[in-house]
Amino acid sequence: MRDEAALGTRSLVRIALFAALIGALGLVPPLYLPIVAGLPISVQSLGVMLAGLILGGRDGALAVALFLLVVALGAPLLSGGRGGLGVFFGPTAGFLLGFLLGVYVIGWLAPRLPGPPVVAAFAAAVIGGIGVVYLFGVPGFALIAHLPLSKALAGSVVFLPGDLVKALLAALAARSLARARPGR
Amino acid sequence: MAGGARAQRESGEAGGIALRDVWLDRGDAPLFRGLDLTLGERRIGLVGANGSGKSSLLRLINGLIVPARGEITVAGLDARAHRRDLPGRVGFVFQNVDHQILFPTVREEVAFGLAEQGLPRAEARAGAERLLAAHGCAGWGERAVEELSEGQKQLVCILAAIAPGPPILAMDEPLASLDLATRLSLLARLRALPQQILMASHDLDLLADFDRIVWLEAGAVAGDGPPREVLPRYRAHEMARAATAAGVLP
Amino acid sequence: MMSSYLPGHSPLHRLPAGAKLLALAGLSLLLLPADSALLLAGALLAVLLAYAALGRRALARLALLRPLGPVLLLMVLLQAWAGDWSRAAVGAGFAVALRILLMVLLADLVTLSTPMQDMMDALERVLRPFERFGVAPRKLALAVALVVRFVPVLLSAWRAREEAWRARSTRRPALALVPGFLAQTLRLADHVADALDARGFGRPADRPSPSDKRTMP
Repeated sequence: MRDEAALGTRSLVRIALFAALIGALGLVPPLYLPIVAGLPISVQSLGVMLAGLILGGRDGALAVALFLLVVALGAPLLSGGRGGLGVFFGPTAGFLLGFLLGVYVIGWLAPRLPGPPVVAAFAAAVIGGIGVVYLFGVPGFALIAHLPLSKALAGSVVFLPGDLVKALLAALAARSLARARPGR
Repeated sequence: MAGGARAQRESGEAGGIALRDVWLDRGDAPLFRGLDLTLGERRIGLVGANGSGKSSLLRLINGLIVPARGEITVAGLDARAHRRDLPGRVGFVFQNVDHQILFPTVREEVAFGLAEQGLPRAEARAGAERLLAAHGCAGWGERAVEELSEGQKQLVCILAAIAPGPPILAMDEPLASLDLATRLSLLARLRALPQQILMASHDLDLLADFDRIVWLEAGAVAGDGPPREVLPRYRAHEMARAATAAGVLP
Repeated sequence: MMSSYLPGHSPLHRLPAGAKLLALAGLSLLLLPADSALLLAGALLAVLLAYAALGRRALARLALLRPLGPVLLLMVLLQAWAGDWSRAAVGAGFAVALRILLMVLLADLVTLSTPMQDMMDALERVLRPFERFGVAPRKLALAVALVVRFVPVLLSAWRAREEAWRARSTRRPALALVPGFLAQTLRLADHVADALDARGFGRPADRPSPSDKRTMP
C-alpha cells in the first residue's frame, strides 16, 4: 500500500522521528557493556551514528540537524538533560557541528565501501563518526579554548577508545535492524 | 464513465460514498475484485476479520490510497481527480492515538487541519479554540498532549479530524484501546456529530444501534443490512471459524 | 511540557525573542577579545545575579552545568601545559574557561526566559526570505513539533522495552534492546506518515484540481 507520492511526507516523518529517537536516547540511563563490566555507554551518540547508517547521508544529517535545532530552541535533550543555546557556546560546540557532516559521510560511505555490510558500516562509522567529527571538533576546541592544535588533540584522544566501541556497536545494531526489517 | 455520474446522483452532494467496480491489490495479492458499494446512511459499521479489507476501504475513501481500477465518489467528488480535496471531506481517525497526534499541544493538533485548508495560523488557532469550547473542552488548548488520558487523547483526535468541517468521518477501530466507560461516552459524542460516520470495529456491541452494517470477508461483501440481521450472522460465522481452527490462531 | 523554559514575568521574559537573540550574538562578539580574568569574573557575577533574580528554579538549573566542569578543568590544564606551566599561562587558561562559562550562562538565560514557540516564530521570520530557495518554514515548524511530540512517546516505548527485559532477566538491560527499538521507531514513522497524509499534508494533485483549496466545505 506504499505509494510514490507519499515519499516526501514519509522521509520528513522519518527524519523527525529519528531526531526524536536521538533525543529520547539522551534521556535514558547509559547502558553497560557486557564485555567490559562497568563501562557505561551513552546511547545518544550511538543514535547519531545510526542515523547515518539507517537513514542514509542526506536524511541522517537532516535528522541530526533537526535534533540540534530542537536542542537550540530549548529542549533539554542532550545527554544529561542539557539543552538551550548555551550548548553551542561550550568548548565542545565544534563536535556538534562535526556530527552533522560526519553523519552525512557515514551515510554516503556505508553503501559504497567494499566488503561485508557490517564491516563497511563499521569503517564508515569510524571514518565519518570519528574522523570527520574530530576534524571539526578538535580545531573547534582549540579555537574556543585558545589552545595549540596538538594540545587540543591530546585532550581529545581520551574519548577515542569509547568512540571506537560505539562505531562497532552502531554497525552491529544496523545489521540486526536489517535482519528485523528485511527488504526495507 | 457513466458510473461516476450515476453514483454522484445516488449519493447526493452533502455526503455519501459510492464505489463502482473497485479493484485494489494489497502487496502482490488482489484484495478488492470489482467491489460495488453505495454508502448513504448516517452511521455505518464495518466488520470483518483482520485483513478483510476494512482499513483499505476507509483508506480509499480518504484518498490515502487509490484503486487500481474503478470509480469512487465521495461527497460528490471523484476520488481520483479530487484526491487532494478528500482530506477536507473525510476526517480520518486511527486506532492508536500515539500514531496520529502530531503536535505537542492540543491547540496545535486541532488547528493543523484548518491551517492545511489555507487558513492563516492565528485564525486556525482561534477556530481550534472555538471547536474545543463547543465540545466542552474549553481551556484544553494550552495542555500538553502527554498529560491527557487515553480517552481524552482520542477525543482530541476526533476533534482534530472534524475541525476542517468534513461531511464524512472515517474511523479505523477508534475506540479499541479504551476502557468501557470511555468507549460509551465517546460513542455518545460521536452520535451527536452531524457527520456521516463510517466505523470499522471489532466491538460488535458498539455497532448495535448503527443504521447499517457492512461485513467484509476477503475483500468482498459477505453481509450487508441492519445490525440485528448482520451482526448475529457475523458472530456465528466467526465462532464457527474459531471452533474449526481448534485452538490454532487463524 | 519538555522544555528548558521557565514560565515567569521578569523583564527578561517580556523582551521579544528576536531582541534577546540579537543581544546574545552581540555579546558573544563583544566578549571574544576579552582576556582580563578580573573583568570576566565580574561579568560572571552579574550573570549569576540575574539567575538569582529569576528565582530558585533558575539557580537550580546551574546544577545541569556540572558536566562542563571537567572539560573546563581539562582546558585550563592543557592551556598551562602549552605555556610551560607559567603563571601567565594558567591565568590565560582561567580567563578562557571563565569566558566560556559566561557565554554558556548568557545563552541559557535566553533559553530560560523564552518559550519554545516564540523561539520558533523568530526562526520562521528569519527563514521566510529564504523560501524562494526551497527552504520551507512550514515544514520545518512541523518537523520541530513532531520531535517535541514524539520524544516522550519514544521514551516510554524504550522504558516498556526495559521493563519487558527486566521481567525476564536479572541482568541489566543491554544493547540488545537497541535494534528492536529502532525497528519500532521506523514502524511508528510509517503510521505517523499515514496520519499526516490522511489529513492532507503534502498530498499531490494527480490532476489539477478545479475547486479552490481555501473554500471551507
